[in-house]
Amino acid sequence: MIEEKLFEDLKNAIVELDDDKAVKGAKDSIAQGIDPLESIEKGLSPGMQIIGDKFDRMEVYLPELIRAGNTFNAAMKILEPEIVKAGKDKKSSGTVVLGTVSGDIHKIGKDILAMLMKVRGFDVHNLGEDVSMSAFINKAVEVKADIIGMSSLLTTTMPGQKEVIDLLTEKGVRDQFIIMVGGGPVSQEWAQEIGADGYAETAEQAIVLAEELIAGKK
Amino acid sequence: MISFYELVDRTMVGKYCPPSEFEMGVLVPKIEEVVSKYKIKADPKNPVPSDDDLADRVFQAAFELLRDVGLYCPDSERIVQFSEDELRDAVAEAPSAPVFGQGKDAKPLVARKTDSDSPPWCFIGAGGNAVSSEELYASLMEAYASFLPLADSITGPTLASINGRRVRTGTPLEVKAAIRATVLAREALRRGGRPGLSIMNSIATAGSDTAKIAGSQFGLKPSDVFCTCFSAELKLEYQRYNEVAFAQAVGAHVVAGCGPVYGGYCGGGEGMAVINVAYHLASIIALRGSCQLTFPIHFKYGCNTEPGLLWAYSVSTQAISRNSHFPVLNLTYVAAGPVTEMCLYEIAAGVTASVVSGASGIEFGGVAKCTHMDHCTPMEPRLASEVAHAVAGMTRKEANEIVKKLLPHYEGHLDSPPIGKKYEECWDIHRKTPNEEYVTLYKKIKKDLADLGIQT
Repeated sequence: MIEEKLFEDLKNAIVELDDDKAVKGAKDSIAQGIDPLESIEKGLSPGMQIIGDKFDRMEVYLPELIRAGNTFNAAMKILEPEIVKAGKDKKSSGTVVLGTVSGDIHKIGKDILAMLMKVRGFDVHNLGEDVSMSAFINKAVEVKADIIGMSSLLTTTMPGQKEVIDLLTEKGVRDQFIIMVGGGPVSQEWAQEIGADGYAETAEQAIVLAEELIAGKK
Repeated sequence: MISFYELVDRTMVGKYCPPSEFEMGVLVPKIEEVVSKYKIKADPKNPVPSDDDLADRVFQAAFELLRDVGLYCPDSERIVQFSEDELRDAVAEAPSAPVFGQGKDAKPLVARKTDSDSPPWCFIGAGGNAVSSEELYASLMEAYASFLPLADSITGPTLASINGRRVRTGTPLEVKAAIRATVLAREALRRGGRPGLSIMNSIATAGSDTAKIAGSQFGLKPSDVFCTCFSAELKLEYQRYNEVAFAQAVGAHVVAGCGPVYGGYCGGGEGMAVINVAYHLASIIALRGSCQLTFPIHFKYGCNTEPGLLWAYSVSTQAISRNSHFPVLNLTYVAAGPVTEMCLYEIAAGVTASVVSGASGIEFGGVAKCTHMDHCTPMEPRLASEVAHAVAGMTRKEANEIVKKLLPHYEGHLDSPPIGKKYEECWDIHRKTPNEEYVTLYKKIKKDLADLGIQT
């Protein structure tokens, strides 16, 4: 009963975007001896799912997604050391390096995707905009990424996606990463043409595809 | 108005703000504050409201937003701030009737009021949609000149390839393509019989300041335009300031563009309405525009015909038309593509909402979200211009009822719209005429629109 209440408190903390409540809930759960991984799985993650669903229905927007992520992180600051102490790993849907390609400064769609992926349990490294080829690759190697996700909002910056793939191939590390591409002018045909592993038109489709591609890789 | 040099000074000495802090630390809290303070509440069920007090409150909220937030310069990581007096002066001193075009195509662009029967400006064509070859580019531009009698200015396509190579921003290919596009555009308009028409989106192919300035030397006249855009939200890079500096030196117009993202940092309809007006003010004082060009985009659907966004678009346009004499052009993006009923219904809804709300004019078009290569024809902008003229003089109340009847024709398909056909699949690209299928569809939809009250 106590456990259920604490999970409910953690879930509500996320939904209410209440950092203090999330921190308190995390501390209380540790004090009660609850496995921190369970607190994430049964408390924080369901709360993030609710926020994600509300976003899908356009009841909340990008600021709320970001705040929910911050609330999640506030709780994780308390829970993560306990997870490490116990010698466990937080379950992750996968590790993603995300960015808008070199020469392109559009960001909002990519930021929305980054937040939705975090909501769905991915570890996301958002490199920002105008990201060089080497920045994509170096970060992907550093964090042992499953996926490199590249966004392009202009027809004339789309070739930047191919440039990263070509460089990965040149370096002999293409097979280490799943490459996903997206953004306004990007299409399935373009993705196939440049040798990407996946293309999605919307953020929701991108998440489903990412999960499928990672599952397929394993 | 503050001088351009003073403006540039402020990009270098303004308050420092790390990139990670501007949106969530400065912008979003202020948007939320003014939306609450001025009691702005979205009503997507009535996409074209008739609430003058609401429109005026949106304008006040936007004024306060820009005054307190300023404009972010990502290059210097500093905020350019404006005082209340400076913003008021800018509104008072803003251009009111800039003349675009040359010869018999020269015409002043004037602001309109809500419910006005004055004819709206029609800035029509491709809306920057990408085309895959120079042949298609030239064919389209010539067709725009010859097939669009209501065009007051042209919006050209983006040339996506040059000499068999994909154009890449930031490389010599972009410069080459920008030059080629300008040369082709000017020649095509001459072939189409309207050499004096202003190319109001300047060089859509050019993303960088270098390419835009280079391309302009090969056919853009001062009566044409430097179309220069803010980044979402409320950001202005040095490349854009560079373009303004050049435009001022050659005496060219600046069309100040903005594309706020619905569902992004400005939130939903309320924040979208406010920020669209904030951009109007920023277009005057920062981009030194001759007019504002706005193209809000729904982050999920990639268009701006969704009812929540239509509401924001309408309200912000009303706010602008009631409180400013600086012209504003509304660009409609539709989700569906050529030779689809959905596309034409979306056009009717978006254009109607804009014109009756007091937009000085329309830009069209953004067909198939402007993201599918070669998916644009002169037929869509033609309908847009005919609808724009047809609804001038309609009241917002009447328009609201019509737009509500148009919504069921497309609203349910925004998440999977038909992209329709490519230009060469439904047009004779040599004779520059539509095929019979498209003409038949066009006539059908025009009849449907007439039955709804839009007599084109």
